[in-house]
Amino acid sequence: MSFIKTADICKDFGPLKVLQNVSISVEQGEVVCIIGPSGAGKSTFLRALNHLEKITSGQIYIEDKLLDDRKNGTNHSPLTKKEKNEILLEMGMVFQRFNLFPHKTVLENVMLAPVQVRKIPKEKAKEKAKAMIDMVGLSDKIDAYPSKLSGGQQQRVAIARALAMEPKIMLFDEPTSALDPELVGEVLSVIKRLAADGMTMLIVTHEIGFAKDVADKIVFMYDGIILEEGPPAALFTQPKHERTRAFLQAVL
Amino acid sequence: MDKLRQMAEWLPPLIDASKITLSLAVISVVIGLVLGVFIALGRISKAKLLSKLCGIYIFIFRGTPLLMQLFFVYYALPLAIPAFTINNRFLAACIAFSLNSAAYQAEIIRAAIQSIDSGQMEAAKALGLTYGQAMRLIIIPQSIKRLIPPVGNEFIMVLKDTSLVSTIALVDLMKRTSQIQSSASTALVYVPAACIYLLFTAAFTYLFNYLEKRYSIYE
Repeated sequence: MSFIKTADICKDFGPLKVLQNVSISVEQGEVVCIIGPSGAGKSTFLRALNHLEKITSGQIYIEDKLLDDRKNGTNHSPLTKKEKNEILLEMGMVFQRFNLFPHKTVLENVMLAPVQVRKIPKEKAKEKAKAMIDMVGLSDKIDAYPSKLSGGQQQRVAIARALAMEPKIMLFDEPTSALDPELVGEVLSVIKRLAADGMTMLIVTHEIGFAKDVADKIVFMYDGIILEEGPPAALFTQPKHERTRAFLQAVL
Repeated sequence: MDKLRQMAEWLPPLIDASKITLSLAVISVVIGLVLGVFIALGRISKAKLLSKLCGIYIFIFRGTPLLMQLFFVYYALPLAIPAFTINNRFLAACIAFSLNSAAYQAEIIRAAIQSIDSGQMEAAKALGLTYGQAMRLIIIPQSIKRLIPPVGNEFIMVLKDTSLVSTIALVDLMKRTSQIQSSASTALVYVPAACIYLLFTAAFTYLFNYLEKRYSIYE
């Protein structure tokens, strides 16, 4: 059973084909890093999984449940809206620009969804939130507003916020691209720890060194197509495709 | 000195009448704000018909003179539909001003909501919040701070526009002023009347500045 499976996902923005027949599968506990030049459709693909973008056609299975089955934009998935929402809750998302709620403290940011969506009693949610904030090493910032935190700290809070919903899959959309170079490490080390704990993750990243370390599988996207995929050792040392080679040469 | 004493004598009746001015402005802006939230949400809703209807509402109330809307509620509506006869002038004025202010405030609120970074709605959705929850807990609270200055501005506009009710013989500050002018045969009464308007404007400007600061704690 694949945790995530997509079949022939296509996404058009008008005449522009952003994704073309993207098919991948991610197993439980697997860490997959998606790399590729800007505009390759990496982020769009990740956002499509989480329904932040509607795909034009293709199928998305989460734990073998058919979340999306679209043809020309209409969804033929047999699931009800409620069932779909429940599946979507199994995916946590971390954004490039953190998107913390600026009018809420760190604790409130992390507690909000468990209380509002999962209907967990406040006291219990608070305990859980504190544990999550502790895990990302920000216990001393619990009552701070996001604007008082550095980018790296904000991103760690965003990770804690996603984890508090107890997702089975974490999606990272360029989690370090908006950070100052000296703050990248603290965020990556949190993600590495999640990988070590066996979290299933799909990470769009430009940090090639990190991808090499953490990924079980690397997916290289170019122009809305998956050009090649494979274990990091193979893909980074012997890329099959000319474009992969050119990209790696440029970034390494 | 004589003139000063005379102006002081006019103050009690003027202040008495300004209760109407003030309560009409406050009631209309508050009701307009509540209605405005719903019209704004309707305007940005994905339901096309609802959005269109809200757009038409805004178009009508911003596209016709407020004085005409006041006359419409007080004079024309009872002629067309007798059940809508409103004998209470104050109530008629409240209705006209609230409906009018709702249109302006809906546009203010829509702009404030749309100025919130789209990442906020995405983060809320990704966490599983419904559209309603996201609006109520994330988007609207953040728009409030951005709403305060333009709503303050709207309040001051309405406060001055209430002077139009003198045309339906509702005795507000403006009407009382012109009554005194004709009975005392002097235009001097406009000086204390203008001062009262200015005092209100200054007080509310201060209040709205204070509110804006209070809502900025998280920045």
